[in-house]
Amino acid sequence: MATGMPIQPPPGRIVLPPHRVRAGRPWSVKTREWIRRNLFPSRNGVLLTIVALGLVGALLAGAIWFVFIDADWRVITDNRWLLFAGQFPREDEWRLWVGMAFVFTLIGLTYGTWSSFGRKDHLFVGMAGAFVLFLMAHGGAALWSSLWFLAAVGMMYLSYAVTVRLPREASPQRTLQIRIVGGLLAAALPLALVILLAFGGGELRRLDGFVLNLVLAPVGIAGGLVIAIPLALGRASSMKAISWTCTTYIEVVRGAPLLGWLFVALFILDDVMPGALIVRAMVVMAVFTGAYMAESIRGALQALPRGQYEAAHAVGLSRLQSLRLIILPQALRISIPPIVGQAIAIWKDTTLVTVILPLRELKGNADSAIAQFEFTPFRIEVYVFVALVFWAVAFMMSRISQRLERTLGVGER
Amino acid sequence: MATALPPDAAPVPLIHRRSFRDFATQGVYVAITALILAYVYVSLDLREFGFAFLNDPAAFNVANQWVIDVDGVTNSRITMYLVGVWSSIRAIMVAIALSTIVGVVVGVARLSNNWLIARLAMLFVEIFRNTPLLVQVVLVYSVFLVGLPQIQNVIMIGDVAFLSQRGLALPSPVPNSGLWGAPDWIAGIWVLALLISAAAAMRVRAQRQELERETGQPHNPNRRAFVVFAAGAVVSYLVLGAPVSIDAPIISGTHYEEGIVINPEFAALVTGLTLYTGAFIAEIVRSGIQALPRGQTEAANAVGLSGYQRLTLIILPQALRQIIPSVTNQYLNVNKNSSLAYAVLYDDLFRVANIVQNKAGHALEMFFVIIVTYMVISFVLSAVMNFFNARVTVHEV
Repeated sequence: MATGMPIQPPPGRIVLPPHRVRAGRPWSVKTREWIRRNLFPSRNGVLLTIVALGLVGALLAGAIWFVFIDADWRVITDNRWLLFAGQFPREDEWRLWVGMAFVFTLIGLTYGTWSSFGRKDHLFVGMAGAFVLFLMAHGGAALWSSLWFLAAVGMMYLSYAVTVRLPREASPQRTLQIRIVGGLLAAALPLALVILLAFGGGELRRLDGFVLNLVLAPVGIAGGLVIAIPLALGRASSMKAISWTCTTYIEVVRGAPLLGWLFVALFILDDVMPGALIVRAMVVMAVFTGAYMAESIRGALQALPRGQYEAAHAVGLSRLQSLRLIILPQALRISIPPIVGQAIAIWKDTTLVTVILPLRELKGNADSAIAQFEFTPFRIEVYVFVALVFWAVAFMMSRISQRLERTLGVGER
Repeated sequence: MATALPPDAAPVPLIHRRSFRDFATQGVYVAITALILAYVYVSLDLREFGFAFLNDPAAFNVANQWVIDVDGVTNSRITMYLVGVWSSIRAIMVAIALSTIVGVVVGVARLSNNWLIARLAMLFVEIFRNTPLLVQVVLVYSVFLVGLPQIQNVIMIGDVAFLSQRGLALPSPVPNSGLWGAPDWIAGIWVLALLISAAAAMRVRAQRQELERETGQPHNPNRRAFVVFAAGAVVSYLVLGAPVSIDAPIISGTHYEEGIVINPEFAALVTGLTLYTGAFIAEIVRSGIQALPRGQTEAANAVGLSGYQRLTLIILPQALRQIIPSVTNQYLNVNKNSSLAYAVLYDDLFRVANIVQNKAGHALEMFFVIIVTYMVISFVLSAVMNFFNARVTVHEV
């Protein structure tokens, strides 16, 4: 290619001396500079940029045409309760709102204790609020829904405002605060289930629609973590009986797809674990996630320098103490990115319960929505909406993970 | 962990000895595990356990038969299941090939100097990584169902291909007697000739590459190889008297007859798997490239390689070492995720197994069959990828 030619200067960003883009120059010049640098980095880049511009134009035009002209969103607006909570009784709507207020309060407490709200967080709350209101507001109840939602958001900002002012230096008060908030977080799932179901609320079976996704995923994630930590330690153990069984468990569970395990929950486990199908589905999701999370944690255990184990031994910690104080805190910190990856995976996989189980989560109720005669032509609209909902939550989870990594200093020493 | 004790030290009590403790712990552990397994064994209803039911006549038919021809009356359940396995393997292979292409292109595009391209690639990754595969597959399927006409109003693409809700029917190669009136098996000889031409082309390519390496002059190995292959194909085709013709598909009633048919179920499954896995592979490719020292790019620039040469000769071959193990995991995921065929009623192994279970019961046995099949496919996939991985790492300096 370059035979006989003088060596060209390397293309790309390196060519540009830093003084070319200076603060204090008029923005028109800066914009031009930016466009030249990012859109036309080299001569062959011009064609590429034109193609990409065409693609962006086509995508935007297509999206606008679909959303505003072609699509008929009544299939969503008319079925919003079906999509959101399905068979959950309307007279118990307050339970959903109280549960939401509880979760929002916890979010406020968590951020107030360990982090702080940024501009993007407020924006996110606003968007989530608009979405929830859209789903819940219906006819005459719109006012009540709005009031409930405002109360939940109010609880969040109140708990945040109270905790964020408390001093963060180590002190007995700080320890107490951390214990209380941490305990609440640990007990959040059972407490939320109590709010949703206890005292005349009825059975687990009533959880339906998007509410079912919102319950299944945390159960899978929390249960998976509880299973994964002993599994990972067991697989890394020097005791052969333990490491072999743990390895077998992990490899067998990872050998079949989640759908296969849900098949087991439906047809085989009913002999072993009598009870509600939804509980069996929860157990299967936890068992399945646990095997994958265990592999992430095992990777982290192996990534720890051997010196950590030896140092813990040298200062005379017992095996249990060195695990609890030295090994696990570091290993769990390293494995945050893959564990969150697993959490996002299980969030997306909650849709699978509708494929072969007679349980209806958001995607299942989307199927029910288009099974109604007047809505059959609007399949695409419904599934686009479902995809959007799952996307929003998964995207938020990945952003929270990045923030957690920054706060805990993953990858730093 | 053996500690040298002074000879006069009191012996360590048994209960404090590590070996004894390990032994006791494992004893308790094994006992508890055995109890749990015993409980599971007792509570399962195993009186009718056995695989004989798989040999009974199927009494159902499966769609998406390709090349294979079976029917539900005479063929057994296990045959039907194997047809399902074959359908799964087809979907997995196509999805793996396509998602690799998509992943490499998008992953490289994410690192483009061109802001617009990089952002578009990022948009692709963020969209398809963060939505459930099930919803993607069902959405693509819905687009096909809504967007395509019924077979009565089939779209003709230049008289040779048809497009409708039944899928895309393409012209297919058919053996025929050709110019000299030879028997049909002459077509097989032509296929053999094609293989020989391909082998010759690979040989020429290797020689030219060797020449390039020795002399430093361009010798166009790819172009030469293509010319050799094309010449071999055309000449043998003419000499054998055009033993293969391309026949357009035919519509009879409400389904296609002849032709290569890509039905919407298959297309939806493969598209979903491709987009989803492609997004993950793109991230793997990106991080693999980013893990390379920056000096590699700069050195490639310094010796005057073009952008394409820099990528294919310097960057990707080195990045492959980090990319292949993670991509192997993604391929194994494609294998397991192909079970989502169930959602669009594509008769893959999982769906056929479900049908058998509905007809005959024996859920436990069917689950054994399913998990063993997935494990075998996974094993083959990882064996192939380990072979590639070994080839890539051999060249390490």
